[in-house]
Amino acid sequence: MSLQKVIIDTDPGVDDAAAILMALASPEIDLLGLSVVAGNVPLSDAVANACKVVDLSGRDDVPVYAGAPGPLVRDQVFGKYARIGPFGHDFVTDGNIMPAGGHAVDFIVCTAREAAASGEKVTICAIGPLTNIALALMQHPDVARGIGQIVSMGGAFAALGHRTPWAEFNVYADPHAAEIVYRSGVPVVVMPLDMTFQALFTQRHFERFAEQGGPAGAALFKLFTTFDRSDVDRFGRPGGPIHDATTIAWLIRPDLFKSRKATVGVQVTGFTKGYTYADFHQKMNLAAKATIVTDVDEEGFINLMVERISRYGRVAPPDAQSLGG
Amino acid sequence: MTAIPIIIDCDPGIDDTIALLTAFVSAELEILGITPVCGNQPLDRTVRNALQVCELGDRTDIPVYAGCFRPMFRDPIYGQFHGKNGLGNTTLPEPVKVAESKSAVDFLIDTLTAAAVLQKRVTICCLGPMTNLAVALRMKPQIAEGIEQVVMMGGAYREPGNRTITSEFNVLADPHAAHVVFASGIKIVALALDATHQVMLKPEHVAQFSKVSGRISETLAELMAFWDRNDVRRYGSRGGPLHDPLVIAYLLSPDLFETQPARVFVEHESELCMGQTIADWYGKSGLEPNAEIVTRVDADGVIALFLDRLSRYAEEVVA
Repeated sequence: MSLQKVIIDTDPGVDDAAAILMALASPEIDLLGLSVVAGNVPLSDAVANACKVVDLSGRDDVPVYAGAPGPLVRDQVFGKYARIGPFGHDFVTDGNIMPAGGHAVDFIVCTAREAAASGEKVTICAIGPLTNIALALMQHPDVARGIGQIVSMGGAFAALGHRTPWAEFNVYADPHAAEIVYRSGVPVVVMPLDMTFQALFTQRHFERFAEQGGPAGAALFKLFTTFDRSDVDRFGRPGGPIHDATTIAWLIRPDLFKSRKATVGVQVTGFTKGYTYADFHQKMNLAAKATIVTDVDEEGFINLMVERISRYGRVAPPDAQSLGG
Repeated sequence: MTAIPIIIDCDPGIDDTIALLTAFVSAELEILGITPVCGNQPLDRTVRNALQVCELGDRTDIPVYAGCFRPMFRDPIYGQFHGKNGLGNTTLPEPVKVAESKSAVDFLIDTLTAAAVLQKRVTICCLGPMTNLAVALRMKPQIAEGIEQVVMMGGAYREPGNRTITSEFNVLADPHAAHVVFASGIKIVALALDATHQVMLKPEHVAQFSKVSGRISETLAELMAFWDRNDVRRYGSRGGPLHDPLVIAYLLSPDLFETQPARVFVEHESELCMGQTIADWYGKSGLEPNAEIVTRVDADGVIALFLDRLSRYAEEVVA
């Protein structure tokens, strides 16, 4: 498989940290940079967290760009775990990475326009509200032409919402941006809660991060065991999803997923804003553009995740690894 | 007196052209840049027209930065009264001047960031949909600190709309952008249809303008003649309302305008009233005013001002 050029647009965020660390441990992915957006936490915290995560990975060549501090039109909302704020020193040690100069939106615009010119398109892995990407798409038609696909963690169909009864957080936080992306003409892969809820990580998986994953795995262990995602009432069994990491798995191992084509859209206003619909049964008579990922091979995805995080243990000297990571 | 630093955000457009030509010969204004946007015409047209107007007015020293090619959220709509190329039946020579490589949004962000640091705030003249400014504000809200005021043409308060029943074109073309700007806390002077319909450019004015305006007279007369709406029932006379140039007139001679403060809201949710601007004249919302809305214009004074300015094109060109 050829190396994919990828930008991760992100609002770290615990899941985001896992997704970024997974990407940075994956040789299939050429990560051009992180464009950070406000979402789970305010922008300044999200930028600080992104820098810490990159530092943790040891990949100080990956630039972190600060982006939009709030949604396009609606009032700002933060994630359920916004109280995380910047990852405390107890979770992720302070590093030396500073954000790059320049705006995340400009980074996306420039990268995509260069990609349009060269013909080697860039993939955007969108794991926060879609504000940065929407702002980039408005500025030049070549931005859309240079993006091969936008793999977007967001939306909820039959699964219903997790932020409101009907809405998934990333879409709810900036429904206009989501609709702009869905209508942009760029191939969009939607990774909804319907699918992310199928792969549940439990304590024993997090322990494997800690045992095998070096400092990065240890940090993820602390983050996931502190900010527990499990919801037995909802999922029917123990464990919690790592939503954002499914996007990285999709890029590396699409065979772990099942998908359908459908037109997707968002309710942008009113009481049900953030509600996403998928026209699975062709009621709208529109050419179905989006790929909606409906199923994930739970075991395959979890094994892949654990295996990638464990690479952070392998790069350490053998004696350090034997000390327990 | 030091000149007022301004950026002209526009979508030329016939009335934009008259506004630009007036600003070009007004020493009170220091034009830092022109930022065309998708509006009356698609972006490539408004950029080209801006470049051509700079050449027509011998102001090729002013940089032109191409703006957003589409509205923030809605599909583009275009103007109905500007002819096929945006300048009526007027065909200007193929421009030699080219747009800068920097985008309008980045130009706004860089200029206003510097203006905030230097405490030399810039006035933004918005003559088209406010997409460029809204996108810049959403990328970097702190640029508001670098803005002295936004003087904008758009909206309709006690007047009905000119593009739909409720809505004026510039606001309707990007109501989400207008919402962003009005919600930003920046000082705004609003020249809505309530003001612009008070200043009709009548056929007799067109004759006067073409008589005084020297080297641009033929082009100006052609543009202005095309502007005649020929709708006496709506406007009370022949001619067309002088929408965009009023922004420049306001900066040059604010004493010709009466304003009233109000909180302005922009409808961006309802299809029926999309783009409607609503003024809270009597404090019902409990929110502080966010705009000075122009309620009365001294029409004769404004026409005299434009005659004076455009007559400067009869003078020798100073190289």
